[in-house]
Amino acid sequence: MSLRLVQELAGHDDRVWSVAWRPGGGPSVLASCSGDKTVRIWEHSPGASPSSATWVCKAVLDSAHTRTVRQCEWCPAGKLLATASFDSTLGMYEKIGTEISFIASFEGHENEVKSVAWNSSGSLLASCSRDKSVWIWEVLPGHEFECVSVLNGHSQDVKMVTWHPSRDILVSASYDNSIKVWAEDIDGDDWRCVQTLAAPGRGHTSTVWGISFNATGDRMVSCSDDLTLMVWDTSADCVSTSADGVAPWKHLTTISGYHDRTIFSVHWSRVNGLIASGAGDDCIRVFDELRDNVSTLPGEGLSYAMVLKQEKAHSSDVNCVRWHPKEPRLLASAGDDGVVKIWELVGGDLPLLSNESLPYDPHG
Amino acid sequence: MRDRDDEEEEDIFDSVVNLEGSHLQQGFDDGFRDGVAAGKEEGREVGLKTGFELGEEIGFYRGCCDVWKAAIEKDANAFFSARAQRNVRQFDEQLISYPLLNPQDERLQDLVDTIRAKFRAIMSMLSIHLDYEGYPKPNLTDDASF
Repeated sequence: MSLRLVQELAGHDDRVWSVAWRPGGGPSVLASCSGDKTVRIWEHSPGASPSSATWVCKAVLDSAHTRTVRQCEWCPAGKLLATASFDSTLGMYEKIGTEISFIASFEGHENEVKSVAWNSSGSLLASCSRDKSVWIWEVLPGHEFECVSVLNGHSQDVKMVTWHPSRDILVSASYDNSIKVWAEDIDGDDWRCVQTLAAPGRGHTSTVWGISFNATGDRMVSCSDDLTLMVWDTSADCVSTSADGVAPWKHLTTISGYHDRTIFSVHWSRVNGLIASGAGDDCIRVFDELRDNVSTLPGEGLSYAMVLKQEKAHSSDVNCVRWHPKEPRLLASAGDDGVVKIWELVGGDLPLLSNESLPYDPHG
Repeated sequence: MRDRDDEEEEDIFDSVVNLEGSHLQQGFDDGFRDGVAAGKEEGREVGLKTGFELGEEIGFYRGCCDVWKAAIEKDANAFFSARAQRNVRQFDEQLISYPLLNPQDERLQDLVDTIRAKFRAIMSMLSIHLDYEGYPKPNLTDDASF
């Protein structure tokens, strides 16, 4: 298996921090955000394949922020784009037809906002900041937004937030080396931290930079400055849960020995089940679960191995890697070199997710 | 050579032989005594300062909360969404139960963090921004650039 460079998208005047594929139907659209305070929208020629080198920059969005835009995310319906900025605000753009306009700005965080994330239904937004807090916002009719909760708990800068693919469970990663799981109280009164995944015991020993859920939401992978990826599992199926409705997460396995620089980004494809990582050594790596042992019971002897390493993917740190939400072979990356790259996975049998969630099957 | 029975008898040379040791001990004792006194004084000052600052901050929140409660009572839905009203009620409860008069309470710091978070949430819900001089600003030297 190898990565073929589809196209290099240049244009940003500063490092690119993050990329986001637009969900929903229609031609593929990619948003990227940068230290140059803008968000760029890229599209390929209509009618052409997204894996053809026909991508162009369709728009440069510069009204929202006065400082670096650190992350951008489309809502699940693909109509809204939320942005997180070092200017301590969140921004919101709306796409109507071919026009994208700036519609709202949210204040609240005290300093640099590091991440923004939509829940699976698009009804909630989460953000986190160097001010150590995680905020949850509700999307009201008419694109109004209201703060639902301000969550303290992390003792340092919170680097990333991401939602479970189907349930309203939020996970955050921090400079304090921990991962926190947040959920709403059963009586709907407020949100609180229901679990902290940290040392002592199984946990990262340095800054956790990113987390990503698998397609079914029973596993997640985290990446860290401690040079490892950790895979976490809720071994309980979604039906049996604890009193507050959230099954506890357990450490499943640590993927170590492959990275020798900070891993800044990790993304678990919802389409092909592979895990991609972007690191400070300019490389993109892809990992897959080892499936050779048919008689392995679920959870036993489970491990992941690297199936691909793309050296010099960027000429500097890779800040973000994101699999396409539909195309099984497409991957986008963003780097400190100010460039966005689109890649295509070539060769190899892709473990396309069909019945991957089935456990040991005696009939093969 | 002395045997054990002689230990209690003072040796006339003891004070000379142990001169350095006894000076050291005396110096230590003097220093310790002065240190305890100075420490107590400084501790009292720091306690006064911290207590005042905490009291001032809680008092500020109390004042804001009272104004909001009064506004809600007067005309509930004018500026306060259902969520905002619920949060003001929660804020009120948190302030009432804050152990202001018990400096030994371990939860003092955590509870004030919760109150601060609730205050910021309510400010966001009401789309206002209030700053007062005593409000602690986050550390500016943290790793801002990533």
